[in-house]
Amino acid sequence: MTQWQNALGTERENGMKVLIVEDERKTGTYLQQGLTEAGYTVDLATDGVEGLHQALTGHHDLVVLDVMLPNMDGWQILETLRRGGRDMPVLFLTARDQVEDRVRGLELGADDYLVKPFAFSELLARVCTLLRRGRVEPEPTTLRVADLELDLLGHRATRAGQRIDLTAKEFALLELFMRRRSEVLPRSLIASQVWDMNFDSDTNVVEVAVRRLRRKIDEPFDTRLIRTIRGMGYVMEVEGGA
Amino acid sequence: MRPPASLTTRLTLLFVLVSSSVLLGLAWVLHTAVERHFVEMDRDILQSKVNVLERLLKRPPAAEELTALQSAVVDMFRSDPELKVFVETADGNPILSPGDIAFPGEKLRNLANGSTPRVFSWWDNGSRYRGLVKAVQPALPDFKPMIVVAAINIDHHERFMERYSRTLSAFIPVAAILSGFLGWRATRRGLAPLRLIEERAASVTASQLNHRLPEDAAPRELTGLAYELNCMLDRLEEAFRRLSNFSSDLAHEMRTPVSNLLTQTQVALSQPRSQREYQEILASSSEELDRLSRMIGDMLFLAKADNGLSLPSVQDIRMHEEMSELLEFYDALAEEEGVRLITSGRAMVRGNRLMLRRAFSNLLSNAVRHADEGGRVGVSIAEHDSTVSVSVENTGEPILPEELTRVFERFYRADDARPRYQDSTGGLGLGLAITRAIVRAHGGDVTASSAQGVARFIVTLPRVPEERVAGVPV
Repeated sequence: MTQWQNALGTERENGMKVLIVEDERKTGTYLQQGLTEAGYTVDLATDGVEGLHQALTGHHDLVVLDVMLPNMDGWQILETLRRGGRDMPVLFLTARDQVEDRVRGLELGADDYLVKPFAFSELLARVCTLLRRGRVEPEPTTLRVADLELDLLGHRATRAGQRIDLTAKEFALLELFMRRRSEVLPRSLIASQVWDMNFDSDTNVVEVAVRRLRRKIDEPFDTRLIRTIRGMGYVMEVEGGA
Repeated sequence: MRPPASLTTRLTLLFVLVSSSVLLGLAWVLHTAVERHFVEMDRDILQSKVNVLERLLKRPPAAEELTALQSAVVDMFRSDPELKVFVETADGNPILSPGDIAFPGEKLRNLANGSTPRVFSWWDNGSRYRGLVKAVQPALPDFKPMIVVAAINIDHHERFMERYSRTLSAFIPVAAILSGFLGWRATRRGLAPLRLIEERAASVTASQLNHRLPEDAAPRELTGLAYELNCMLDRLEEAFRRLSNFSSDLAHEMRTPVSNLLTQTQVALSQPRSQREYQEILASSSEELDRLSRMIGDMLFLAKADNGLSLPSVQDIRMHEEMSELLEFYDALAEEEGVRLITSGRAMVRGNRLMLRRAFSNLLSNAVRHADEGGRVGVSIAEHDSTVSVSVENTGEPILPEELTRVFERFYRADDARPRYQDSTGGLGLGLAITRAIVRAHGGDVTASSAQGVARFIVTLPRVPEERVAGVPV
């Protein structure tokens, strides 16, 4: 098993079903492969009509929908789905980052959108978020990864019983990592979640912040929890599987 | 809709219309003047005759002397055979009457009121006559007033006026046609510069946008048009130049990373390698592609900005709060680089939060990157009468004077000796261009200056008065 498959492999037990509607063959195939390896069951449709048919009959948990499609575009598919009472989350892929497009998509009931070209890690992170959204989970007061513990109410971090002092942003960063353990988090997602920087900002900043966090929670201890996945981002997981 | 008639047609018709109405008016004025002149002339002649008659009749003739009177009159006007004389008493008894024409008795009696002589004319037997009528009161008592008329035949006047009218009615159409023709010629000549402009305009193409219309050769009325058209061409040329620079920049900037990726991939494929090596190569490709993808996004943003950026949504923003959040983002990086971050001042602006954040993030990123070790990055916000200025400055290498405006250009990097793509600091050379585009879209501007070891970028934005914002919930 390769390095990052390992990192992504924990959603597998869910067996969530995802439908990709994408007419560009290569893109579609790669997305299918990527999501399959991340543990999802993935169907691929290459034109609008077929996509709509599968979406209506296939009981998918999520649809990844390209806007520009032959026969029937993404808007129409989305509209038909929502009219037909299908409320699974829909993630739009669009080549046009026009504001009108976004507004239209969200009005029609899209749950999120990504502008091409996008990083696969970004797509994966959004898919995870959308699928988690549907699930009702009790809000935990304490997060735990291996011997690292985060007390959300008391704003306290401890590892192996030792108290660790964190700044507010370091705490927020660690919370993000722990809430989304085993997910690869791209730098852009981290910048957006922790600092509200919703655009391509200086990625050095995220690297530095992660490095400083590691210095506090990883370096003094035996095992490393935060790992760098080159070219994709960072992941928090317990080495050798949880 | 029917297209409007050509200018030449319109002007020609106008010429015809104007010249015919002027000529018609003139003909009427002349006609009236000549006629009045004839009347005056006749009146003078008739007046003297009436005077003579009046003297004769002051002593009124007895009935038996009538014949003598008649012959006296005939004698008196013998030299003037055209003159017709008519006298009657006020109750309509003719005293003297020429045998050959009839006088309009009723009309005479109406006119002969008062003592002023009146001119009149009438037709009889195919000829026209003009007469002067006057009431005469004989000097003796018991005599009733008498009506005295002297008249002449005015057929020759009639004939003259008729000839005059005929001549004019032949002349006016000819003159109108002639002036129409001249007008047509003049219009064609006058509009010749327009055709010149048209020819020049036709020669302007995308590859020859530098052609301009002749402003000096055009008559004064057209220089304005030519000037405006030239200005339009200037703007088009500028926009076109920007567009083609944009495409060539893009191609140039993408060539290096794409060729790197290609080389790397092909070298990797040339022989079997360990899994670790493959992973290494793919990861490096991924990083490179990520940069490319970000560059495409940024370039698209700038391309849209070139066509006028519209702000998706606008809100009031507390600049100081925004800046301290941004500084929080750069805090860790600055600390690593040994740079202190300082902020001061407060102000309110109106704009799109995400965009402004991006603009200032670029400035801060630039400042932190260029600050010297142990130096500082300072943000100061100040309010002025109608603007808010935010200055972002850093200690360190000064910006050269010739670079002060160029730093905002796309793909401009201070150190050109560095390979353009592999900028070690990770910048794409688009950040400041994006900052400027965003600030301009907010109705502000950004300038760079450098003095005494401090490089400074000053953003000016329109100010929002604090009190106006006070009631707005945050």
